Amino acid sequence: MKRIVLFVMLVVAFVLAACGPAAATAPEVCNTELGCAVINKDQTVKIGFAGPMTGDYSQFGVDMSNAMKLAVADLGDVQGWKVEMAIEDDGGGAEGGAAVANKLVSDPTFVAMAGHAFSGATAAAMPIYEKAGIPMMSPSATNPDLTAQGSAVFNRNAFTDAEQGKGAATYLYETLGIKKLAFIHDGTDYGQGLAKVVEETFVSLGGESVAFEAITPGESDYSAPLAAVAAAEPEAIYFGGYNAEASVLVNQMEQAGLSGVIFFGGDGIYGKDFLAKVGDKGEGVYAATLVPPGTDAILAFNEAYLAAYGTEAGVLSAYTWNSYDAVGALIQAINSVAIVEGDTLYIPRAALVEAVRSMNGYQGIAGVISCQENGECNASGPVFYIVEGGEWIPAE
Amino acid sequence: MDKPISTSTHNKLRLERYIRTAIGIVISAFLFWRIYNVVVLQQHFGADTWVRFGLSGLILGGMYALIAIGYTLVYGIMFMINFAHGEVMMLGAFGGYFTFEILRFIPAPTTASPDLNFLNANPFLSVLLAFVVGITISATAGFYLEKIAYRPLRNAPRLILLITAIGASTILQNLAMLLFGPQRKNVVNPDVLDRAAGWVINVGGNDVLISYTGVFSLVLSTLLMIGLFILVQRTKLGRAMRAVAQDKNTAFLMGVDVNDVVSKTFIISGALAGAAGVMWSIHMGLVNHFTGFLPGIKAFTAAVMGGIGNIPGAMLGGILLGVIEAIGPAGMGIDFQLKDVIAFSILVLVLIVRPSGILGEKLSEEKL
Repeated sequence: MKRIVLFVMLVVAFVLAACGPAAATAPEVCNTELGCAVINKDQTVKIGFAGPMTGDYSQFGVDMSNAMKLAVADLGDVQGWKVEMAIEDDGGGAEGGAAVANKLVSDPTFVAMAGHAFSGATAAAMPIYEKAGIPMMSPSATNPDLTAQGSAVFNRNAFTDAEQGKGAATYLYETLGIKKLAFIHDGTDYGQGLAKVVEETFVSLGGESVAFEAITPGESDYSAPLAAVAAAEPEAIYFGGYNAEASVLVNQMEQAGLSGVIFFGGDGIYGKDFLAKVGDKGEGVYAATLVPPGTDAILAFNEAYLAAYGTEAGVLSAYTWNSYDAVGALIQAINSVAIVEGDTLYIPRAALVEAVRSMNGYQGIAGVISCQENGECNASGPVFYIVEGGEWIPAE
Repeated sequence: MDKPISTSTHNKLRLERYIRTAIGIVISAFLFWRIYNVVVLQQHFGADTWVRFGLSGLILGGMYALIAIGYTLVYGIMFMINFAHGEVMMLGAFGGYFTFEILRFIPAPTTASPDLNFLNANPFLSVLLAFVVGITISATAGFYLEKIAYRPLRNAPRLILLITAIGASTILQNLAMLLFGPQRKNVVNPDVLDRAAGWVINVGGNDVLISYTGVFSLVLSTLLMIGLFILVQRTKLGRAMRAVAQDKNTAFLMGVDVNDVVSKTFIISGALAGAAGVMWSIHMGLVNHFTGFLPGIKAFTAAVMGGIGNIPGAMLGGILLGVIEAIGPAGMGIDFQLKDVIAFSILVLVLIVRPSGILGEKLSEEKL
């Protein structure tokens, strides 16, 4: 008898606990499969970012997270709640991407992801966010495949490799008058994808692709592949990859008999870091990037960045401004769906995913963010820069 | 009853050897067929390109060889793979980099050119200084590495030493990253040793540049290897080293100070790695904390290929590996990203036909 009483009391206790105050006041909209992020008075709303914070590509992660911290300082308010960045190091690769995603989704106050920085890590992390109902807005994951997979959560305000590649090929063929182009890529999702798009477009315009070589990332000597490229006598080399390898290639081009050949890279090589590594051998190198011409908003941001970190904006990577906008856009979307009930902030996850995907006309500092059905949110094209006198300046 | 067993074992061994040789011949035949096909029939590259490949391979191979000797020396004496050796080389590379950086900011004005710096005013002295600094740092690192990480484990199982070495490698790498930052640094050479300067030779109607830095590296690594060979074969220390390699206990009983010999071995292997590191920074031009890792792995491969524990074997293995990496992908007509596949296939081939490496284990008689 005693046992039965005890059992009944236990059941009652459980039922009471389950229908506690939270359940009693939770808004209707939370009764979905994904539910709501419940944020108490003393907690913050968390937006995640992940990129390589250490190693050869660390400048990307450091730069982007710096810009995002400025964004939450400027715009980080959701109906009285503070927004905080949860910054993680994913090393840029697939393993790190999945590990970081799993770590982030375990935090109940984590609602949106401004990343990941690299395409490889993003591809691995997407399914995890999809399951947890976390909308993504990547400022820099540019691999074309990412938006072709039908993910509901993945969006980007980076312009795609396809757009960039087409622009670069057209510029090389029409503006620079290059007829024989050689390709070198680093075999990554980003580098190889970019090189392939440029090659296709360049050939369809009537140009000739004379060599297509892959190199192993992370090495210090590429003289052999450069010699193979030199044998094809190209007028220019298009490089798909990041600045660590590009700086080695540019350093060794003359040794391999490629003096006077134009070196043309993507947004992965743009930035002052590249200039520091190549010295005066970098003169005449081209890069296609999304760095916009200086408007008032950008100049104000640049000043704030310099004051906060002692480095000029854009020195470390080309994604600074986009990173700021990605966080700004996510905060706006969170604001549009968040509900306050008493002392608690509710953010319905399914509605937030939809709000980000249907974003229209968000005015950021680098451009307007309007998302298409597949998650492409940036419509502006690439800008071309050339190194002259040790500086990146807009090319003709 | 001993005889039949030994005969059957003998037969089995002989059969195994035949099978090994057969596999070796088949793979070699395939390689040669493929190379013949690409190089002779397709003629994708001209003679000048092959010369460029060869040069790039020889230069890289020379550095691999210097590092490989460090692996082989330590293996010969301690029977351990010193996986932190690549990091010792990285420290040497930083030594060279910082020497150049400091000298670049010392003004040495002359009447003809008022803003000349020490680096360009005395290029020979600067390079010498860079080598002295790099070698000193690496030799010191090698010495303390042995004293702190390996000596307490002298009598421990070899697996523990191996794991300690990997740990030491990670510690040195991360230490360098924390001290110098993760980004690659551009090494600014004296103007006379500019990486794009060199002799131009004409091969089949095309100009091929033989860079000064490349020739300099190759000549210096050859000289150092000859020097080391003389040291091991002709001096008292060399004799002591060979004695310790053959049998530690007997050498000790014969009055050889084993601890001293081991210490000196680590200093010598560190010094060679340091020289390779400075060459690396002068010729390749970019250094960071990760600079030593890949060359370290490659040099280890080279040491195994040549016969670990064998000094001429390490030299041969290093040069061979460098040349295979540079010529292999083009010769096989495949992507340069797959050069490691070719290098390691050759390694497997060598180990199938000659399990103890091309020249075999000579320095050490005691195996395992």
